[in-house]
Formats: sequence, C-alpha cells, structure tokens
Amino acid sequence: MNCSDAIENREVDELFINLDPIQAGGRLTADAMKAVLSYGDGYSVCDNCGKPFRLDTIQKPPLAQFHADLASFLGMDAARLVPGARRGFLAVTHSLVSKNEPVLLTEYSHYTEFLAVEQVLGKPFEVMADSRHIITPDAVAERIEEVIRQEKRPPSLLFVEQVDYQYGNIHPVREIAAVAHQYDVPVLCNGAYSVGIMPVSGKDLGVDFLIGSGHKSMAAPAPSGVLATSSEWTEKIFRTTSITGDQTKRSFGLKEVEMLGCTLMGATAVGMMASFPHVRERVNRFGTQVAYANKVVDALLSIEGTEVASEYPRRHTLTRMNTNNSFDRVAKKHKKSGYFLISALREQGITGIIPGSTRIWKMNTYGVSDRQASYLARSFQEIARNNGLSVG
Amino acid sequence: MSGIMSKRTVDAVFHGLFLFTDLRQILRDTTPDHTLDDDQKKEVSKILTKLEKQVAILQEEMLS
Repeated sequence: MNCSDAIENREVDELFINLDPIQAGGRLTADAMKAVLSYGDGYSVCDNCGKPFRLDTIQKPPLAQFHADLASFLGMDAARLVPGARRGFLAVTHSLVSKNEPVLLTEYSHYTEFLAVEQVLGKPFEVMADSRHIITPDAVAERIEEVIRQEKRPPSLLFVEQVDYQYGNIHPVREIAAVAHQYDVPVLCNGAYSVGIMPVSGKDLGVDFLIGSGHKSMAAPAPSGVLATSSEWTEKIFRTTSITGDQTKRSFGLKEVEMLGCTLMGATAVGMMASFPHVRERVNRFGTQVAYANKVVDALLSIEGTEVASEYPRRHTLTRMNTNNSFDRVAKKHKKSGYFLISALREQGITGIIPGSTRIWKMNTYGVSDRQASYLARSFQEIARNNGLSVG
Repeated sequence: MSGIMSKRTVDAVFHGLFLFTDLRQILRDTTPDHTLDDDQKKEVSKILTKLEKQVAILQEEMLS
C-alpha cells in the first residue's frame, strides 16, 4: 500500500513491537495523529495570529497556554518550541559562547552538541565517564580545573545529558550542576531521553537550560523540541530583534533573534501540543515502564553468555546489550550471519534492532504494555533456544 | 452541497478520519498479534458503529 506513487505507506508501529532506541518515545498518541491530519497544511497555526505575530502568543489553537504549561511542566521559567533539541543547543551556544571560548561536553554528548559548539567556533573539552559509564561531579570538577589551567578561564557552558543515548544511564545532573556553578559555569541539561518520558524538573536539577526533544520523547512529529530557561537567562536567550534595514528602515517588532522568528508553524507544534496532556500524565508511570524494561532485560540475561552493558537493574527503558557471547556466537555459524537475529525477531513481529547487530546493540522498550513486555521476553528466549543457546 | 450542509460533510470526513485513527491506535496497542481483549472489542464495536453513521452522512450529503 502506498501513500502516493513513490511513497510506501509506513505501518511499522501497527505491525511490529518497535524497539528502535530513538523512535520509542516519539511515537504519536492518537490525539497527535488526529492533530496532524487536521493541521498538516504549512502555516496552519497562523489562522488567528495577531500582534505581536509570534508563535508563543497565539491563542487559537492555544499555543500561548501550551508554552506556559511547558515551562511549568519542566520546572523552568520560560519555554519555546524549537525544531528539535539541536536547535535549542544552537540557540544557547550562539547566545553564550564566543570564538575560541572553551565549552565542556561529555563522553556521551550527542554529536549535535558538538556541532552547536562548532557553529560558534567554540573549543570543545570532554568529560569522560567512569567505569560504570556514569559522568561524575568529580570528573566534571577536574575537567573544569584543567580548562581553567589551560585556557585561563572557565568554560562558557557545560552540556550534560540527563540520560545518555549510548547506555541509557541516568547521570547525577543535580550534583554536576552544583559543581559547575561553583565555577560560574552555566549548565545545559540535554533531556532528549528524559523530558516527556520521566518526571524532570529543571529547578530541582539546578540547571540553567533544559532541552527536550519532541520527536524523541514527547510523542510529537519531527522536528520538534523545547528549550526552557531559568529566569536568569530568559532575556538573553529569547532576546528580541533590534535590527533595522538601512534603506527601508524596516524593523521586526518582537521577533526573537535566536528563534529566527517563529519556529514550528503547523503539524509539529499542534501534534506536540495534542500529545502534551498524555505526556504530562505518562511521566508519572515511568516506574512501570522501567519494570517492563527490566522484565525484558532479565529474560535476555537468562540466555547464556548475555550481558547488559548499561547500568543494571535498569533505571531507564533505553538499554545497551552485549551479546558477543550469545547471539554473536550463533551469528558466526548461521547462514544469515549477523542478520539472523533481526530476521528471527521480525518473524515474531518485533523490529527496531539495527539489522546485522549481534554483538553490542540497543533497544528501547518505552511504551510497551505488560503483555507486550512478556511477549518480548519470551520471544528473545525462544530465539535463543531455537539457535542452540541455553536459557537459565 | 453548499452552506451549512457543506460543513456537515466536512465534519463527517474528519470525524471518520479520527475514528479510523482510534482504530489505528488499537492496532498499535495490540501489536504484533492484534488479539483484542473484551474491552477493546467493545471499543472497536462502538467505533465501527460511529463510523457507519459518518458514512451515512456522507452518502446523504454528497450523493443525494
């Protein structure tokens, strides 16, 4: 079945349990799907836009209220919709970091954090994780000291992930932020895998900037995200234009420079807004989702030779598995080689693991039901047994 | 088809699309085998009844 001549209909989430690490939290709610049907046209949210002609002030649909609700939900003072977390990173680096100024990132920083530093010609310095794959406050303090010794100034900004994309581990952001603030280093928390998935309060974490991803963790269409700030930074990040054309003398009202005016003008904004009541409620059920993740991981660990590379028991639904001594042993002898695993999973109605991966691979069980978690657990064990691995 | 009748038609189209979306959500909730429990079957039955009403409206408005 096709959407159009050249575009095949996408039925992945209707036909499979989808474990794709980056897709699980962005799967739309039914309300978001309806909103996308209704607001798919280009500037669809602009029907009732009036002065000051800004997305965050539109009353119908209720985007102004949505912005206020988002700030409150995140425990921050102001929030703006952005076209993906990465655009939030760039708004902050562009406002805070000048050429050749040091910026602290971590071993688990997303590549777009680096690119946001590169765009403003900053100098990246990385904090490495400990043996548990956790970024520690002590490591941050040591690295800040090194930067000060080398650069004769503290970093202009610290990026830290609340939950990293490689292991799905939860990092001690509150303690890290406290350390950074001792050196007057502002802290940007990347909540791409936490905001919309688990309860997150920027104030409790003590961070200056909290960024979430709509399409990764807030059941929203791509590209969407949220940039939230504490009151200390609101004016700087969301500063309004002061430029004037030299010939026409045109100026541009209250448009925000870093947002390049309006950001999400259609299905992305309304889709995100339609999911928000569900997102606000689902974060309170995160413990249940973690229990399901542990059920699946425990089943995998019952397969001989299988290890979990992420912290365990799991505290998040994104998990990195090490099956070098189980599924990869099978792959070495199997006629489908490394593709045997995804092939067997698909036969069971499961997808989302990178095809060909049998050594180190990631999955995200976010959003599954108890029944689906049990099904996943049984399926992995059945595939192991069918391929000669013992299951304890 | 004109005026208020047209609005009724448009609403029926969207209502139908939204009801189909509710069915789509049930498929997502029950993947991969789509085995429905009793509550889900009741829900599907309600949705299909509502869909029939919307189709009837469209037949009346667009074909009569």
